[in-house]
Amino acid sequence: MTQVDPQVLARARARITGPVAFPAAEPVPAGLTRVAAGERVWALPAWPDGATPAVLEEYQTLPMPLDRPGQARRVLAAALRCCWTRLDDAPWPGRAAALTDVLELYATTTRGDAELMRRWAVGDLRRLADTGWLLLDEEAGTVRPGPRTALWAEESLAPLRALLRRMPPPPGGSDE
Amino acid sequence: MSELFEPLLRPYDEKRRAELVAAYMAVEHAAGPVPEVRFPALREPALRRTVARMLELSGRTLIRTSPAHWISGYDDAVREALAGDPACVLPIADRAVLVLVLIHSVAIPRAEGLLTDDSWLSPYPAPLEELRRRSQLTISELEAALRRLRAAGLVGQVKAGADEASGGYVPGPQFHRLTEAARRRLQEELILAAGPDSPLAAAIRARRRGARKERV
Repeated sequence: MTQVDPQVLARARARITGPVAFPAAEPVPAGLTRVAAGERVWALPAWPDGATPAVLEEYQTLPMPLDRPGQARRVLAAALRCCWTRLDDAPWPGRAAALTDVLELYATTTRGDAELMRRWAVGDLRRLADTGWLLLDEEAGTVRPGPRTALWAEESLAPLRALLRRMPPPPGGSDE
Repeated sequence: MSELFEPLLRPYDEKRRAELVAAYMAVEHAAGPVPEVRFPALREPALRRTVARMLELSGRTLIRTSPAHWISGYDDAVREALAGDPACVLPIADRAVLVLVLIHSVAIPRAEGLLTDDSWLSPYPAPLEELRRRSQLTISELEAALRRLRAAGLVGQVKAGADEASGGYVPGPQFHRLTEAARRRLQEELILAAGPDSPLAAAIRARRRGARKERV
């Protein structure tokens, strides 16, 4: 079998495992972006010249399909509204918000059976946590911004801030 | 700016560089193969070689799916190395469900002559009822496995049509991303699973024994 360069293999492995937290003392494979918070560190993909998958839109190319993308976006917005309360700062690392607050805010911003909306939203929160957009601790009942939000370019934050300002304030939290 | 790609991108002017980055992002993140007519860096062989070298840095390779369409996938040696890493393989329930989907939506239609080429994509969905009956999993385990497989792009859901077309699951967009060797390997594994005593299975085992000896 051909020997694979260990650094190449480490980067390929990171693509498969997705953003998995490891202890901050461990080195991040070369060529990946290191995102740290407290004791934990994540290795995220480093794209050339600051490009993001959003470039696909410019080329009329469809990205990987997502189940119920509109709903996932609204759930992410509700979570950010609760966790990213100092909007002048960067979203990462943000602060932990109560899961119940996120679900309540989400339910107030959508139409339909509130109980059903909450159940679906939990599923979306889990998927957003699996992919590194949020950190979800179901036992503690908390949600935080995920490591991927650390990679958002400063110039892309303005429209996001404007959107979050238009949303209702987080139910239980202190809006700053 | 990422240092990883800098040595490969430095020789190019701004326009070429942007074209290379766009092609790289497209083949890595698109749902399906991208047409080279839209990406100059895929159309021109010299630039395409640079895209391929950018992919190689992360163990990826450029795959031509039809005369003018490209996508990326894992390089064969990298795939083999990662398949031995428990953190990189699917849970056994997910694999079992995926195999059932492949049998019903690809292997059976192919045996019936409905699918002819060696693609692993199929318009024939495996009905959920069939997966329920054959998988030996509880309904909640089966649904959890299908949810993970869907999220990973390994299966796609087909809704039942108004014209009584039945719904179910088909192989997902990740199946565009198999190299020729990976497609062949999958085909052989399915033969070994479905007909272990068949002459075809015996031939596959004999060839693999031969290949192992050559390596040693």
